[in-house]
Amino acid sequence: MSASGFAAGRGVEIRGLRKVYGDTIALDELDLWARPGEILGVVGPNGAGKSTMVKILAGEEPATAGEIEVDGQPWSTQFGTERVAIVHQEAQLFPNLSVADNIVIGREGRRILRRRTTAAERAVMADLAISDVANEQLQNVPLATQQRTEIARALVRDAFVFLFDEPNSALTADESADLFRRMHALADAGHVVILVSHRLAEIVAHCARVAVLRDGRCRRIIEGEDLTQEVVAKELVVGHEATTGGAAARDVKDAVALELVDWTHTRRAFSEVDLQVRSGETVAIVGVEGSGARELVRSIAGFEPARGRMTVFGSAGGPDESTGYVAADRTQSLFGNLTIGDNLVVRLRREITGFAGSLRRDRMLAKAREARDTYQIKARGLGAAVASLSGGNQQKLAIAAAMTERPGILVLEEPTRGVDVGSKRDIYLHMQRYAEDGHAVVIFCTEITEVFEAAGRVHVMSDGRISAPLQVNHTDVESLAADVTRLERHHVRGSRAASASATT
Amino acid sequence: MTSSTTTAPAPDHAPTPPPAGAGQRARAGAASALRVGGLILSVFAVGVVYEILSGGSFFGLDNLLGILRATSTVAILGLGFLLVLIVGEIDLSFGNLYGLSASLMAVSWILWDWPVWVAIPFTFLVAAGWGAFNAFFTTVAKIPSFIATLGSSTLILGFTLLITNSNSYNPAYPPGPHVIDAGQLSAFTAISNEPLPFNFPMQGVWLIAAALIFWFLLSRSIFGFRLIAIGGNPAAARLARIPVRKYKFVAFITCSVMACFAALLDFSFIGSTQPNAGQTLLFPTFAAVIIGGASLSGGRGTVIGTVTGALLLAVLVNGIAILAAGPFVQQMVVGSVTIGAVVLDQLTQRRRATS
Repeated sequence: MSASGFAAGRGVEIRGLRKVYGDTIALDELDLWARPGEILGVVGPNGAGKSTMVKILAGEEPATAGEIEVDGQPWSTQFGTERVAIVHQEAQLFPNLSVADNIVIGREGRRILRRRTTAAERAVMADLAISDVANEQLQNVPLATQQRTEIARALVRDAFVFLFDEPNSALTADESADLFRRMHALADAGHVVILVSHRLAEIVAHCARVAVLRDGRCRRIIEGEDLTQEVVAKELVVGHEATTGGAAARDVKDAVALELVDWTHTRRAFSEVDLQVRSGETVAIVGVEGSGARELVRSIAGFEPARGRMTVFGSAGGPDESTGYVAADRTQSLFGNLTIGDNLVVRLRREITGFAGSLRRDRMLAKAREARDTYQIKARGLGAAVASLSGGNQQKLAIAAAMTERPGILVLEEPTRGVDVGSKRDIYLHMQRYAEDGHAVVIFCTEITEVFEAAGRVHVMSDGRISAPLQVNHTDVESLAADVTRLERHHVRGSRAASASATT
Repeated sequence: MTSSTTTAPAPDHAPTPPPAGAGQRARAGAASALRVGGLILSVFAVGVVYEILSGGSFFGLDNLLGILRATSTVAILGLGFLLVLIVGEIDLSFGNLYGLSASLMAVSWILWDWPVWVAIPFTFLVAAGWGAFNAFFTTVAKIPSFIATLGSSTLILGFTLLITNSNSYNPAYPPGPHVIDAGQLSAFTAISNEPLPFNFPMQGVWLIAAALIFWFLLSRSIFGFRLIAIGGNPAAARLARIPVRKYKFVAFITCSVMACFAALLDFSFIGSTQPNAGQTLLFPTFAAVIIGGASLSGGRGTVIGTVTGALLLAVLVNGIAILAAGPFVQQMVVGSVTIGAVVLDQLTQRRRATS
């Protein structure tokens, strides 16, 4: 590849990179150096700034401040759009065009007629093993092939930097292994390769150095002897100050609220899950994207199809009014066309109606006021638009709306994603109180800190299997992180992680 | 992880925060009051212009009551259609369903010799069934309602032409051997022609009754509250366990039933049917509802807006008739006003979003 001419260069150096959205600081003086010839791992909790960094490098978003140099030359937006390639979990290409056309399109120059692939392009395609499917529509080839098409497209455009952003969440073990081989090949050819991932086993197995991002800064570069899953896992949570002090850990002996036996997703995202949740306790389900954890939690609320035995408060049958659910994404939990007050009572029915289904505005108002005060939603007024709330208050509103209905089982997906520290503390507090009132709370988490703050017990999902439970009675989050990592590793043995752990 | 960037909080420059509670729905209320106020103002402005242009034949009582009568068909159709728009769907079939309803009433009464009090409920049942048919293809078969109802509209028109043999029917002059009972005919005619004080049109009374019921449904009942919520965010509604599909069925069925009701009133008033009579009503109804402030993307719309939207169109059309400008000019005006209303809406929405 022509990029080999840069092999002697210094790669990509990021200094003092800042990005501010409104009142949110996504990147705060980020320093990072990605050298050619190695795979640089980037890990960090949600909101650490990983995606922002990726977008800025690719020229999709302007930085607020800071500088980036490529081989000693200042980075430009043009460089970002032309020579930085992002490979996502899902290819960002034209699904309705053939594989070959996806590589050709945009490179026709001044030609009017469509052209065939050039010899150089065919060589790249052969190298990436996509020649055989060159004439297939992109949407009809497997995801892994689509990703290789994306790499090929970048290579013929002489891309220098390859950013892999959680690329293998939806790939099989064999496909993942192949993708990692491609990454190593790209690095060996002198490209800058950055891998952003939550999968610590793979990060540790394939990266020469791992940068840990937190709160928009690079906290530490881990390399050499230190580069183990335990060290990375601890580094992800170190310095986290307990807000509720893990007070959720209590010995709960209340009745079983929810029991799953042999619970299997119809599309096999998870299988043979056994789970018990008692009233009064908060159980966290942890797992990376593709582990089946998210699907499991949704199936408990009835929003993913699954088979097996589900018992809710002693009676068999599906989830119903007794199970409340809040999605991670606020666009799936809030009604932008309703006022804040109406959002708080939208799940209610009998409490707010009088004769013949007429609305009792007085009761709606009373309920909404009560909820706003209980859940400390800082709003200009109950009649204001949802959009006038800060992100943290929007999330509080979404969770408060579900709690107002008082469901016996409350299912929350990533309850504090993208939320500021103050709101996080409030949300954990309300979750804890809700559980203490005799409700069962199930949360899906991707962050160990959240497990530490909110949960009494945790299960780890990997490859669709659930681990044994782990009591969250740790005094500090680092030891919890180590235990969870151990649990996951122990539990995964023999499956996907085989290739990864072989090298550790 | 950039989810933290989703919503930048709006700058905090509200002059005085409304007291909690009193502020409840103040914003939405203000916006809709502004629109209705603007619409009523436009109605008057247009009226004044016509009054001057026509040399004083607009603001007569007879003409104003005529306008009210002319408003009623579009407004009644619009009320049903409003529910479908609010829930976030679209119905293009109510126009032809209007034609089918009148024709089916006539055919079953006149040709099949059914008593009119059987023919009318039967037609309402068919209309409701057609609404359920539209809802089924939209919510169960998951075909976009635009396509589902466009298809069903054409299907209905064909079916109407088939059963009527593309004929008009007038119960006062039944064809061939058929005989219409005089008592039935006078009772039927009275539905829209019952003489009222000041020549107040009977259809105006029906419209006011329908508007009151719809106002209760949309603004004062849990049904309307949830319907608006669904239209605002169907995904969130589903996750909040609001029965989205059921509400969509009700919306489509109501829209069809209202088309049948409008057809009944017009058939009673005019005395005869036209199989394709509804085709020219589709767009004006659409226009009235949009001018009245309903959002094509769902979750927004009011009864008062829809009725004043229909009123504005009726006034425009009436004026054009007074000035004898002709039906072609009328279409041009209705089209321009609709586009203008949507542009205005977009502008005010954008300003509200950025303020």
